[in-house]
Amino acid sequence: MSATRLRLSTALALVASPVLAAGTIDVAIIGEPDTFDPMISTKDVVSIVTQHFVETLYTFDESWAVVPLLAADMPQIAEDGLTYTIPLREGVSFHDGSTMDADDVVASLDRWLEVASRGMAIADLVEGVEASGPSEVTITLSEPYAPLLSLLAFSNSAAAIYPEEIVAPSIEQVIGTGPYKLEAHEPDQYTQLVRFEEYTQPEGSAPREQIPDEIRFVPVPDTNTRVEGLLSGQFDFADSLATEAYDRIDGSETAEPVLLEPFGWPVFAVNHKEGLMTDLKIRQAVQAALPYDDMLFAAFGNDMFFQTDGAYYPEGWQWHTEAGTELYNINDQQLAGQYLEEAGYDGQPLRILTSRQYEFHYRMAEVAQMALEMAGFTVEMDVVDWATLAQNRDNPALWDIYITHSPFLPEPALISSLFPSAREGWDNPEKNEILDRFTSETDPEARVEIFGELQEMAYEDVGIIKIGNFNALQGQRRGMTGVAPSPWPAFWNAELPE
Amino acid sequence: MTRYLLNRLLGMVVVIFLVLTIAFVLVRLAPGDPAALMLGPDATPEEVVALRARLGLDASILSQYLTFLGNAVQGDLGRSLFFDRPVTEVLASRAEPTIFLALFSLIFALIIATPIGIFAAYRHGSAIDQSSISTAMLAASVPSFLTGLIFQRYLATDLGWFPASGYGGPGASFGTRMWYLVLPSITLGITNSALILRFTRASMLDILGEDYVRTARAKGMSEARVVLRHALKNAGIPIITVVGLTFALLVAGAVVTERVFNLPGMGNLVVNAVLRRDYPVIQGTLIVVATLYVLVNLATDLLYLAVDKRVKY
Repeated sequence: MSATRLRLSTALALVASPVLAAGTIDVAIIGEPDTFDPMISTKDVVSIVTQHFVETLYTFDESWAVVPLLAADMPQIAEDGLTYTIPLREGVSFHDGSTMDADDVVASLDRWLEVASRGMAIADLVEGVEASGPSEVTITLSEPYAPLLSLLAFSNSAAAIYPEEIVAPSIEQVIGTGPYKLEAHEPDQYTQLVRFEEYTQPEGSAPREQIPDEIRFVPVPDTNTRVEGLLSGQFDFADSLATEAYDRIDGSETAEPVLLEPFGWPVFAVNHKEGLMTDLKIRQAVQAALPYDDMLFAAFGNDMFFQTDGAYYPEGWQWHTEAGTELYNINDQQLAGQYLEEAGYDGQPLRILTSRQYEFHYRMAEVAQMALEMAGFTVEMDVVDWATLAQNRDNPALWDIYITHSPFLPEPALISSLFPSAREGWDNPEKNEILDRFTSETDPEARVEIFGELQEMAYEDVGIIKIGNFNALQGQRRGMTGVAPSPWPAFWNAELPE
Repeated sequence: MTRYLLNRLLGMVVVIFLVLTIAFVLVRLAPGDPAALMLGPDATPEEVVALRARLGLDASILSQYLTFLGNAVQGDLGRSLFFDRPVTEVLASRAEPTIFLALFSLIFALIIATPIGIFAAYRHGSAIDQSSISTAMLAASVPSFLTGLIFQRYLATDLGWFPASGYGGPGASFGTRMWYLVLPSITLGITNSALILRFTRASMLDILGEDYVRTARAKGMSEARVVLRHALKNAGIPIITVVGLTFALLVAGAVVTERVFNLPGMGNLVVNAVLRRDYPVIQGTLIVVATLYVLVNLATDLLYLAVDKRVKY
């Protein structure tokens, strides 16, 4: 760099850089959280931000096991599996200065059962939530329900604990107990969180060390802008980056790539309520015809970013099982043609609803279309924006398959498509029976076994069509430590290099 | 003159009313339910119905339209569905980056384009003239998102001279905020300088061929005086027109640049509002832009009076 250029860039840098407080972590997220009340939203971007200032009774450790957070310990579960007695930590402060007690927890859980989609889903099973002491609550169920603790621990549609005083159907200003508190929020510009000085550390679970003074979440909808912001040093962390940017980030002196491996699974959701796909033979034809490898390659471009894997949970997860996966990746259009013949298929178009909001959905659909047509299907692609897709998929008359994706959820009972009440409407009595056994079984090993049956059933009856596993690319400042790769990254332990 | 002004103002009301109505109908014709979007992928149909009712989206289109018109007349543009704040407040908070971006890019375009345009006209047919026209064509042809990306990558990321995106963050001073506008302004200014350059050149060419310019030269007036005093003054009207329209277009059309540089301006707001189906914000932004457009047109016409005494209304 010449002396003049050096002087110029130094001068410009002096003018340019706002004075940052020591230890500020700037995080680029994909959009503006539409609420700070994680109970009423299932969006990942809401979870990522709110988990810093709102807490739940339980949380997950790094291996996705449930551990206490605002609870003092794991619950005492009655032999019949119907009563959960949960001891609460004492002396936990809310950001408004009040101290958490059993009444706050009862009011919050009651609201969760009323307004949160995951709470509402089990509200029928819950007979009551009561304060059984100043620092103890008891949840009574009408039948055993093993995933309860995972639901209480999830940051998404979260069973958040608020002070009793603010609990209402709609909460104006969210108050939590988290290690950071909300300092300022300028919609579409930033959400500024600062350290909560009266925070008391949970025992047993990973510490929330409160290392940064401030955490700022900046909504940056354009993926390229997130990459440039990361590479220019403007952001310390950037979520959800296009895999094409991997090499540039890897070669940068400022930033480094973080590969979340694997992140989740793209899914072809099947319409079990109306239309072509209500016929098992047609569903089997689709399952047999799809070239999973090619679809994943078209979608993600490089096998560094995907795995052709039919198991609903990847290897390394306690839920991993190969049951039923012999029906995955058959890639045989002739066989599919036979199924179509058996079904008496008359050329009625198979309607695939997708969007370009997530480009990989669209690329998978294009490859799928070719293979399905080779098998003898007439395919009609309905490519719309995400808002339209979100509306149309609720009308079973409009589609046969729609494309979506999900991160791997810590508990299979969180996979809504498995339930007959979901919009896909997969209501097979044999599957429902397995599902009931799965949710009421409390022995962890027996649950893993039953999950195998469930996955096998999903392949035999073509309940859902899993395309594979894909990795997510995030990026962080080179040398930054303390942020565990996750679909919902947390920054309380984040430490910037000297 | 007063009558002319009254007519124009009345016309303005009609235009805004039409824009309002068209905007209202169009955004509702678009599929996509704001309630479903706000609730996220796992929302149940019951939750969507409840939220629709809370947002007033379950009323008939006609009754929604009449309520909207009634409120708009009183200056109330409704509440943003997404931000749960009055639309006027949301728009006000987004006006600053857009207005300054438009202003700076216009100033940038004028500084670059006017002198070159005049000079090119003066040296009509020369190599300088030819090359300035080709450069202008090139600048106008490159879409601003590409220019923006190139600037962002090389001037912000690689050289670190400018911030890559955003608007300064929490508590940023006015100076810092303006600093964040430098790259976006140049990006947008380059595209628009081409238009201004071509108009200036064409307009000056016309005037330089007029008899009175020849007379002025014959009287021994210096070339600089001829060009800047006599010719430029008369070439002013078309230039003012194009500058006025460019400014209005800049405010309305900063969408792409704001997106690339993640500026929290009205362009970015309207794109997000469309994606979120935030009807009141889409309508509000359209009203503001339409009003601005009409006002700028009026102001341009009035400026003619100041520049050219022969113009009468």
